[in-house]
Amino acid sequence: MAQNTPAVVMDNGTGYSKLGFAGNDSPSFVFPTAIATKAQGAAGGGTGSGRPAVANKPSYLTGGAGPTGHLSMKRGTEDLDFFIGDEALAAGNGPGYGVHYPIRHGQIENWDHMERFWSNSIFKYLRVEPEDHYFLLTEPPLNPPENRENTAEIMFESFNCAGLYIAVQAVLALAASWTSSKVSDRSLTGTVIDSGDGVTHVIPVAEGYVIGSSIKSIPIAGRDITYFVQSLLRDRGEPDSSLKTAGEIKEEYCYVCPDMVKEFSRYDNDRSRFLKHTITQPGGRQVTVDVGYERFLAPEIFFNPEIYSSDFLTPLPTVVDGVIQSSPIDVRRGLYKNIVLSGGSTLYKDFGRRLQRDIKHLVDARIRASEVRSGGAARSGGLEVQVISHKRQRHGPWFGGSLLGQTPEFRSYCHTKAEYEEIGPSIVRRFALLGGPGGS
Amino acid sequence: MSKDRQTLTVSRPLHNSELKMPAYNSIFNAEPSPTLIANFPLLPLRTKTRGPAYTLPLDTALPLSQSPDPESDSYDALDEVLSLFRANTFFRNFEIQGPADRLLIYGILFVSECLTKIKPSMSAREAQKEVQNIALDSNFAIPGDAGFPLNQMFEAPGSRQEAEALRQYLAQVRQELALRLLARIYDDGQAEKPSKWWLSFTKRKFMGKSL
Amino acid sequence: MLLLDYQNVLIQSVLTERFSGAPPVNIDQTVSDFDDVAFHISTPEAKTKIVVSISVKCFDELVKYGAQQVLEREYGSYVIPTEAGYNFSVQVDLENLPEDKDARDALIMRISLLKRNAMAAPFEQAFDEYHRMSEEASKFTSEEAPQGIREGGDVMTIHYRDEEAIYIKASHDRVTAIFSMIFREETDRIFGKVFIQEFVDSRRRAIQNAPQVLFRTDPPLELQGVPGVKDSGDGRLSYITFVLFPRHLTNQRREDIISHLQTFRTFLHYHIKASKAYMHSSMRLRSTGLQQVVQKAQPENEKKEKKTASGRTFKIQGN
Repeated sequence: MAQNTPAVVMDNGTGYSKLGFAGNDSPSFVFPTAIATKAQGAAGGGTGSGRPAVANKPSYLTGGAGPTGHLSMKRGTEDLDFFIGDEALAAGNGPGYGVHYPIRHGQIENWDHMERFWSNSIFKYLRVEPEDHYFLLTEPPLNPPENRENTAEIMFESFNCAGLYIAVQAVLALAASWTSSKVSDRSLTGTVIDSGDGVTHVIPVAEGYVIGSSIKSIPIAGRDITYFVQSLLRDRGEPDSSLKTAGEIKEEYCYVCPDMVKEFSRYDNDRSRFLKHTITQPGGRQVTVDVGYERFLAPEIFFNPEIYSSDFLTPLPTVVDGVIQSSPIDVRRGLYKNIVLSGGSTLYKDFGRRLQRDIKHLVDARIRASEVRSGGAARSGGLEVQVISHKRQRHGPWFGGSLLGQTPEFRSYCHTKAEYEEIGPSIVRRFALLGGPGGS
Repeated sequence: MSKDRQTLTVSRPLHNSELKMPAYNSIFNAEPSPTLIANFPLLPLRTKTRGPAYTLPLDTALPLSQSPDPESDSYDALDEVLSLFRANTFFRNFEIQGPADRLLIYGILFVSECLTKIKPSMSAREAQKEVQNIALDSNFAIPGDAGFPLNQMFEAPGSRQEAEALRQYLAQVRQELALRLLARIYDDGQAEKPSKWWLSFTKRKFMGKSL
Repeated sequence: MLLLDYQNVLIQSVLTERFSGAPPVNIDQTVSDFDDVAFHISTPEAKTKIVVSISVKCFDELVKYGAQQVLEREYGSYVIPTEAGYNFSVQVDLENLPEDKDARDALIMRISLLKRNAMAAPFEQAFDEYHRMSEEASKFTSEEAPQGIREGGDVMTIHYRDEEAIYIKASHDRVTAIFSMIFREETDRIFGKVFIQEFVDSRRRAIQNAPQVLFRTDPPLELQGVPGVKDSGDGRLSYITFVLFPRHLTNQRREDIISHLQTFRTFLHYHIKASKAYMHSSMRLRSTGLQQVVQKAQPENEKKEKKTASGRTFKIQGN
């Protein structure tokens, strides 16, 4: 039956999970990777102690006499009393539930919570019988193979899913850029700049494989931009400088400018650049907030981190250049030529253009310097730097998964339930490279 | 997060162009052999106030709140101070690349000081009084004085005469900057209240310093 | 979450968002639902005209049992000519929505229940047939009831999945719904049996009003002579029979009963999977416990002096 159903694509990130079906151009569901479970007693759930959440009910499992009593444990359905996503956050605001985030720094940390999160994702939201569908899941770069095995165990043993493919998010983000008109050859070599809410990663990928030793991450991402907008609003004494308002301003009005000083004088000469943002506060009161310099200053923190942070000062273009320079020399040209953006914090207007210009400056300066050092003996033909922006950037990894998951050969790249039973969890340590050489 | 930060040190030797601090430097650094007192330049100014500065031609048609085109002859270092002020106050690190950068630093810090005197409720007249107070006060610290905050970067004048000349030049700078700043904040006296877009920079400290 | 929703959450959330007055956008999404049902939500003509199409594997059978009529009754003026590749299509015009908020929500819900309503047809037909027959039968005592009524109606077969089917049969005093079910997985079969046994036993415990449930691995008598029914012989195929008595068949309960019965298979599988998740949690807890015990058993850092070949010693730092 799984032969003609669409593959399920799930991209579970630290902040948000993106769920949907292969072949669609956007995920069906995007909600926080959060789970709200019944907090029992004052203990507030089993987290924090480092034990799994079911530590709540060890009395039944260990045979000891707990406060909840043997029989009620046996017939209870507490394990089904939980919410995920936006509902989890809502439940967490009320009494009785505690919110947990099973994924930290991109990696699954609480498998109990994750298993139930998946269960609800599949049965409540996606409404699929996992036996009838192939699944494409994502993982962060440098995910330990044990985590893959755990994932496979849950997918195959709990859910009996028909087939499974686990892809690295950065590789999928590269595949997602194939929709851009700038991309002529569908290569899986490139540098992925993935900026979400918490952290920005720069990940070099060669022929579909992540160059792990060269990955760099930057502690500046969407959340910091929101904070910076907020601090600018406060400096000006705006009537509402809540994080929510700052977030809305960030999403609606921000863009990347070519030069800060020139941008300031453009605002002096053209008053129409100052905008107004109206918010309705709880209680129905309408408040108007002026929007000005933060429009270009906020995203500027990628290019001039110094204006926001005192301990992290390296501009993003310099980091990208450093990442590529630390990669093997034979792939650098490909890495410069295909710098792909992914994630919500790369969506600012002209982000790609500025990044491309700044990296190009660094590269050209280096080439010039080495020409000078050689005394004019060596001439360089130059180096192409290209930053790719495309329409599916926001959910890049998910979209890449959707793209690859609908190809006719996708199923042959998956490991099936039968193969899993034959070989065991270690089977998922290797996957043939989807969309790579040999694919279509 | 702390782990991420550690991994970030770029181990590769940095190229010259990358070492440059991102804050904006003065274009007047390129000026050939300016008059110097110690290492402070006496750059020409476009001003009506009296003093040792060589004065540039004045275009009376130009409102005080506007700067001439940077390419034109009457564009002076104080126009630059006012245009770089907002961007540079965000930076804590600044690398002096030429004598003109010292005038830039001094100018920016003085603008900051003026801003602290202006309250959001003040009318143009009240603000003018407050700001002129500090601009006209001849009793301010010059490089070399114990009260001057930037003595690490500024050399002390060599003699009493030099010190007096520097003081007069700086007084000129202060008065002219104050006038132009007020014109900008009050839209050439048209506005009743100071521009919040300027006042929002009151709390920021360029290089973490203040005069 | 004890029970599964009957409506499709995605259709519901898409329509809720569109109905809220957000600026119109193009939609083109293919969505799956349980039992090999697929939806297509699209805006082929204009951004304000949302078309929702459904494809059901066993639609031909459902039509035989009156699905077209049921759907037309439910969706009336929203029905449009069926989109190619699908079985049934409805269209809502955002510029022509009911004014009333409640009516809008009701419309959203009705469209999200497209699958439920399509699958409801044979059940509705069976319920109607039961009412007709019980009326007939009330004219007779059961011994002398005429032939056609004593035996009840024909068995309606819905092959809603590749290897599984629902059989529905109405008679004058009951409606019988039989699910043939196959467990591809050994573990699932065991879990499934435990669950079904609970259903079977429920009447013996507190819940006297529950429908009677029977479980067997060979085809029940009701299905004798029904084409396609086979005895797998190895117990792989099981049959679960729900006997609905007159108290379940009242018009007030009808909607709920139909919804519940439809989702029975998915409900069972969901709970099997949830139980496995629960077991896995306990296993993880146990193994972390064991790990801790084992770690405690590790010897303290013993300071051993080791000598090199030349007789020199060096301290070993604790690991």
